[in-house]
Amino acid sequence: MFTAGRRAAAALSAALIAGTMALTGCGGDDSSGGKTLTLWHYEGPDSAMGVAWSEAIKEFEATHPGVKVKFEEKGFEQIQKTAPMVLNSRDAPDILEYNKGNATTGLLSKQGLLTDMSDEVAKRGWDKMLSPSLQTTARYDQRGVMGSGNWYGIPNYAEFVMVYYNKDLFAKHGVKVPTTLDEFTAAMETFVKAGVTPLAVGGKEYPAQQILYQLALSKADRGWVNAFQMYDGKVDFHDEAWTHGATTFADWVKRGYIAKNSAGIDAESMGTSFISGKFPIMVSGSWWYGRVAAEVKNFEWGTFLWPGNTMSAGSSGNLWVIPENSENKDLAYDFIDITMQKKIQNKLGNSGGVPVAADPAAITDPKSKELIENFTTLSGNDGLAFYPDWPAPGYYDVLVSGVQKLINGTASSDQVLDEIAKPYQEHAGTIGE
Amino acid sequence: MARRREPAKYLVLLALVVLALMMLFPFVVVAFNALKSPSEYASNGPLALPEGVYLQGIIDFWNRVDFGQKLLNSIVISGSVAVLAVLVSLFNAYALGIGRVRGRLWVLVLFLLAFTLPQEALVYPLYYLSKQVGLYDTRLAVIIIFTVIQTAFGTYLLSSVLSSFPPEILEAARMDGASRWQVLWRVVVPLSRPTLAVLLVFFFIWTWNEFFLPLVFLISNDNQTVPVALGVLQGQRLMDATMSNASALLGIIPAIVFFLIFQRTLTRGITVGATK
Repeated sequence: MFTAGRRAAAALSAALIAGTMALTGCGGDDSSGGKTLTLWHYEGPDSAMGVAWSEAIKEFEATHPGVKVKFEEKGFEQIQKTAPMVLNSRDAPDILEYNKGNATTGLLSKQGLLTDMSDEVAKRGWDKMLSPSLQTTARYDQRGVMGSGNWYGIPNYAEFVMVYYNKDLFAKHGVKVPTTLDEFTAAMETFVKAGVTPLAVGGKEYPAQQILYQLALSKADRGWVNAFQMYDGKVDFHDEAWTHGATTFADWVKRGYIAKNSAGIDAESMGTSFISGKFPIMVSGSWWYGRVAAEVKNFEWGTFLWPGNTMSAGSSGNLWVIPENSENKDLAYDFIDITMQKKIQNKLGNSGGVPVAADPAAITDPKSKELIENFTTLSGNDGLAFYPDWPAPGYYDVLVSGVQKLINGTASSDQVLDEIAKPYQEHAGTIGE
Repeated sequence: MARRREPAKYLVLLALVVLALMMLFPFVVVAFNALKSPSEYASNGPLALPEGVYLQGIIDFWNRVDFGQKLLNSIVISGSVAVLAVLVSLFNAYALGIGRVRGRLWVLVLFLLAFTLPQEALVYPLYYLSKQVGLYDTRLAVIIIFTVIQTAFGTYLLSSVLSSFPPEILEAARMDGASRWQVLWRVVVPLSRPTLAVLLVFFFIWTWNEFFLPLVFLISNDNQTVPVALGVLQGQRLMDATMSNASALLGIIPAIVFFLIFQRTLTRGITVGATK
């Protein structure tokens, strides 16, 4: 009567025994004589970074005979959740990609889990390849605050927020690429008059707050950004820049540039709605670039910098960091050096990424050229203003909820500014304690 | 009378069909999107029917994460946990339910506490312990941890089942000169096999679906389980919708297969009483 169950139990016991035997066999793989560089990153194999880095691994193995690279692809969540524990153990990788910022690389550097690479940076000249606003996220002081102090990571790529536009819809409605905020507003007015909602916005996630930040940045300068992001100055959420950001955003909702229902739209749906041609404009980061390039089939598209701004949300990409427990630090430095070479940087640029040290002449794809030229302009203005959710832990959710209130019209722009000021000021007061 | 009941029957049937469709709907959406190419997904949206069968997403995902290895890991871990946890639960419950050791109520309360503790609270202690004994990043660590966690529940449940075990049968066995060990294996186990089988299936499926502790403890890709491998696709800002669906499909198939194999055991175990 119970034979099915009994047979299953027997099968499971067999699996158990086989498993135990397999477990005892999985000791270490350091018996082969040659060295192994264990490397983790979390970029998809078809992304610009994935493509460039697999090339870098080949290059590394070719220039380091006898060394094997053991690459493991990880999920972003997994590294976010487990990095402090993994890096504190003997099973730490030799080199890994890690999220830049105070709450991530900054925190680990403060805990002594990351290698200070300042000497190598100077010796190998990486500091000369990276512009000042890219260096910001690579250096952390003893409080774990970015912007100064020792080098704990090296970025290979950059990212910035820009405007993606549907050329076909622009042509159909006779709209030209705007170069000032007024022209931008006029362009959106034209679309609204024709019954088209101009902006694809995801209010449930990061996109909406980045639009507000872009608007604030149109009245801001480097000192304002540094005060906000690195706590070296007074931050007033009712100053001209923040007020302009919040009131203009609310105004755009009122005029119909931003749809009322976008408070419930996530970033993924925003992207797919633009890719399927439903909206003429999407404001988002260069991380969308590869996907838009691969998936837009039915129309011509292009990108431009946020009109009229010298600064834009953006920063270096994620960093290569070397755990303090890495057993092959020299090999890890060599690997970083290869990723900074022109060959790999150009590959990154030609695959739709934003390289930090490429040779502009070697970028052959015209759209990638446009992207990289835009970045060069921005970087030349010292215009990377980082992201609005960076300065305080949990600030992302504060901003999402604040901007959603602006979209839904449930709070005035002054109330929203008060709401987002409070957690920021509370956190800024505790820095360095 | 009979004619009157007909429409009511159809209404119930209709309600059941609607309910079944609602239950199936998410699976159907996952299956559809798993079979779409990324550009098809982008242009037609998630709810459209697939234009053709696109298996590349599934194949790419399988190769990208070395899915065969993950399946093996999941089977080894869940299988070991299921067998070990049932065994340990049985021993515990035999002592508590039939042996009636002193203070058994408090022992049970303790087990219940262990079972209700959130895993997040256990992570750091377990991390330091496993690092101390050199088991961090091994499948053995996860097997031990989940054996203990599942045993806590198993002991609680089995103890209450065994405490209502008919004393006459035990008495008769003892009169025939059976030792405690023989009573357990010749009398108690055969009679409570349905309950044990249900526990085995539950432990297997619960362990299979665990995400958080395996995520923390199995850091090498070679050791990871299926749910952890699915997490690889969740990028920082972007997700690959079609491949996520492909992976979800691959992830639920083993659980469904397992359920289909054991569903008779499950229903029987629930309906059969302790005495028979």
